[in-house]
This record gives sequence, C-alpha cells and structure tokens, in this order.
Amino acid sequence: MLQTGPAKKLVVYVNETARYEGRPVHEVLLHWLQEHGVAGATVTKALAGYGAHGTLHVSRPFRIREDVPIRIEVVESAERINHILPFVYDMVPQGLIEVQDTEVVKHSPQPEPASEAERERERIKLEGRAKMLRVYIDEDDMWEGAPLYEAILKTLRMMDVAGATVYRGVLGYGARNRLHKSGFLGLSHNLPIMITVVDSAEKVRRAISVLDEMVGAGLIVLSDVEVIKYTHAATTREGES
Amino acid sequence: MTEAVKILRVYVGEDDRWEGVPLYEAIVLRLRELGIAGASVFRGIAGFGANQRVAESVPFGLSHDMPMMIAAVDTEEKIRRALPLLDEMVDEGLVVLSDASVWGAAGR
Repeated sequence: MLQTGPAKKLVVYVNETARYEGRPVHEVLLHWLQEHGVAGATVTKALAGYGAHGTLHVSRPFRIREDVPIRIEVVESAERINHILPFVYDMVPQGLIEVQDTEVVKHSPQPEPASEAERERERIKLEGRAKMLRVYIDEDDMWEGAPLYEAILKTLRMMDVAGATVYRGVLGYGARNRLHKSGFLGLSHNLPIMITVVDSAEKVRRAISVLDEMVGAGLIVLSDVEVIKYTHAATTREGES
Repeated sequence: MTEAVKILRVYVGEDDRWEGVPLYEAIVLRLRELGIAGASVFRGIAGFGANQRVAESVPFGLSHDMPMMIAAVDTEEKIRRALPLLDEMVDEGLVVLSDASVWGAAGR
C-alpha cells in the first residue's frame, strides 16, 4: 500500500495513435497497471505538443482519432516503480518515460478490511512507553488567518498523530506575562489554550519540529507517559460483531 | 516531603455512555468507589483521536461529542488497581499513566 512520505512519480508520454499489440498504448498501460495493483494512474490528453518525431501535434475538434500526446502518471513507492519499470519500458515503443522523486502528503483510499490488521499493529505499537506533548498558546493567536490552535490541530492530523485534544483554560498568564481571565457569559477572549498529544517518541519529535515554527509566543513541553490502552472504534466494532 | 505518585489520564468522547450514564461520569464514580484520592474531568474545545473524527465546539453549548479527559492522581498501587476496570469501560479512547510528585496534600 502507498504510504505517506518519499515516493516516486512515473510519467509516460506517448502519442494517442501509438499501438501495442494492436491496442492504444495508454489503454494497455492503464489496464496493466490496474491489474498489477498499482495504487493509481491518471491519463491526460494534451492540447498540443511535439516530441520524438519533431512533428507538432495539435488537437482539433470533431476528430475522432487525434494525433496528440497522452500523459500517463503514476505515484508509487520507489520499490514498486522499479518493479514495473521494465514492463512499462517494453510497452512504450516510442515516447518518453521519466521517473521523479516526490513526496506523498495525503493518501486516503477507501478503508478496506486488510487495513484493520495495520491499525491493530499501530495500536500495539503505541502501547507502552510514549510521549505526551503539551502546547500552551493564546486563544487569539492566529496562523494564516485561522486560530493557531485549529491550524495546529489540522497539522497534527495531517501528520497522522494518534490524537490531540484542545482545552481552553479559565485563567492564566504565560509567555507574554499578561493575565487572561474569563468574563461574564463567556464573552472573554484570549484565554489560555492547551493542546495535548500522545504518541510515540518519534512521532512526537516530528510534530515538535513543525510546531516549533508555528508557536511564536508560547510553551511546548514534553513528558514521558505509559500508554495503558488505546482503542479504535473500528477495532471494537469488529470484536462485537 | 514529596511523594512519588502517578497521574492517570483517560480520554473519551462526551457522548460515550456506560449503563445509561455518560462514560466520564461513570468513570469518576468508579474511581471514587476504589478510593482514588481525586479525579477531575476536563472538556476539550476541539480534538481528534481514536475515532479519527475532528470535534469542534460551536457556541451556546450545542456542540457534541467533545473530547473529555479524566485526570486522577494517586499512588501507583492504587492507580493500577483501577486499570482493569478502565480496560473494561473504555471501548474507544486512550488511557495513559505518567509520573509525578506530590508536595503535601491536604485531607489525606
């Protein structure tokens, strides 16, 4: 399965009229990639271009068979790309094949039963020694036009941190040495905000390097914790059925 | 005079129930039955966790399933006595322990 982090992008440029065993190359390639469990592939048609032959190909309306470049794009792990490359090479008679380094930021396929085992492994991995991260900021702190605590929460989620909770204090003073106090009918503002995170030391350290940049005035503390239990909704429901 | 203790933190959802009452309430009552020195419940204003849902509060208390955190402090021996119970009660959430020191406590 495709994981977030470093990956490879494979791009193939062929002409729409190019054939492999009598069928359009891009069709053959797409089916082959699907059959071989490649995470995903996209075929796009160019408006115009020139390439191996040096001839300019332009898309013209109302023509059924167009002589334009087709681009097939695949993102997979370096290992998978290396495995499929010889086959792709063979299927593309004329054109261009390139491989580039890329980084997968988000990959959220449909949940499948197989991923249950993975979550279970993750759960077991988290139990035992772990770290608790606490971030203290102000409610009015902003980041890119949104409340900083919301931005931090989104960032942590993107980093696939096990969980985070945001609390609003009722009173406090801190980095800016101003006293924050909640007022009548909850109309006060700029109260202290605390965000707590529990995850493995490695995940928490990675989160710190990102949060360090986001937290201008505030406090970030780290402490040791022992995880006794960490359960997902999916795992328990599986057990009940 | 300092005393080594453990802090127990339990993270559950506000809407989680246990035998008809809110789970966080049931946990506090059971901790009291076990003679744990004290427990406090905190309500988060946003968060995500075991269920991977993002909860965010809306004004006038209309929001629901906010993250709830129950914190209790006592000796390791007493806290560990509560763990099997929590294991049974917490279906979806997180239970963590950490070390702390108590500098004197009134009423003990």
